[in-house]
Amino acid sequence: MSSSPVLLFVIVGKNEPLYEAEIDTSSSSSMAPSNSSGGAGGGGGGAGSPSQQQQQNELSTRQNYFVLHSALDLVEKSVYSTSNMYLRVVDKVNQQQVSTFVTAANVKFMLLHGGKGEEVIKNFFGEVYGYYVKLSMNPFYKYDTPIMSKAFDARVRAAARAYLS
Amino acid sequence: MSSKMQASQAGQALWSKMPKANAELFALTYGSLVTELVRDYEDPIEVNAQLDRIGHSIGVRCVDELLSKADVAGMGLATQCQNLRDTAEVVAKVGFKMFLGVQAEVGGFSQDQRSFSIYLQDNPLATFVELPAAGDEQYNGDDLRKLKYSNLYCGVIRGALEQVNLKVECNIVRDTLKGDEVNEIRVELKEVLADGAGDDYKEE
Repeated sequence: MSSSPVLLFVIVGKNEPLYEAEIDTSSSSSMAPSNSSGGAGGGGGGAGSPSQQQQQNELSTRQNYFVLHSALDLVEKSVYSTSNMYLRVVDKVNQQQVSTFVTAANVKFMLLHGGKGEEVIKNFFGEVYGYYVKLSMNPFYKYDTPIMSKAFDARVRAAARAYLS
Repeated sequence: MSSKMQASQAGQALWSKMPKANAELFALTYGSLVTELVRDYEDPIEVNAQLDRIGHSIGVRCVDELLSKADVAGMGLATQCQNLRDTAEVVAKVGFKMFLGVQAEVGGFSQDQRSFSIYLQDNPLATFVELPAAGDEQYNGDDLRKLKYSNLYCGVIRGALEQVNLKVECNIVRDTLKGDEVNEIRVELKEVLADGAGDDYKEE
């Protein structure tokens, strides 16, 4: 259960996360509404009397966020070490790895995973980059603001399912 | 039937002669125009009116270009437009094709033949556009439901037909940006303006 099949994908702008998606790749199990994206942080609800599993899930979710966010510093560092947009794995914590892709406009795509192939993730980032460019061409989307578009969300999830499961 | 063929052929021929612009540049330019208006006027109804006005001044010029080029190409549109049905064909098949490169369809004539619809499958103005969702407070999603993003078309059609003595009213009734499966512009003929010189200039 520790290296869960859950992937965490985050887009980080200049000073805040713009988009978050928790992607469950174990397609057989529950397609529950894991996380409805939008909004920053993860401190929304979660009160009441959650079952043990839920509690565990929440714990691992928090841990995932923590790992991702703490990797940000390493991203800043490795940006200067290469001219590639794809920075590969920038951080490892236990079995969890953080891959990063930085766009030309310095928007960071970060994916937390349990050790997927470099090429696969590169392709996934490439695909998402395409969607991101499309999104930023939308006159109603302002650069470096949270991404609320449902279409974008659906596309990213579909891409994640196609490439990463 | 033959006039239908003729119109779309003419549109095709004219389109091939037109200088082309990059579609993305075009869409982005229009996008920034609209968002700029949204920022300036805040009220979407007012933005619609402004877009209509801009379109009107475009249409007033466009119609001359269309007629002159069609004449040069030997299509004699002036003799072709005998009634509103012909006019509608020319607007959709020649006008939209010539300036935008997209095929528009005509349909939905009313009983009295005084109103019709123009259907656009793809809308080059709205290539990348996605309106903010309804509940979206950050971008004023609720308000923008009232925005008619492509209201420019209405102005263009109104302006162009006004120059050929047809006073019409246009309205976007369906919009793919709002989830409809097609863009529909409803055009209604209000009156045929009197042609010819004013009374003062008439000879006895």
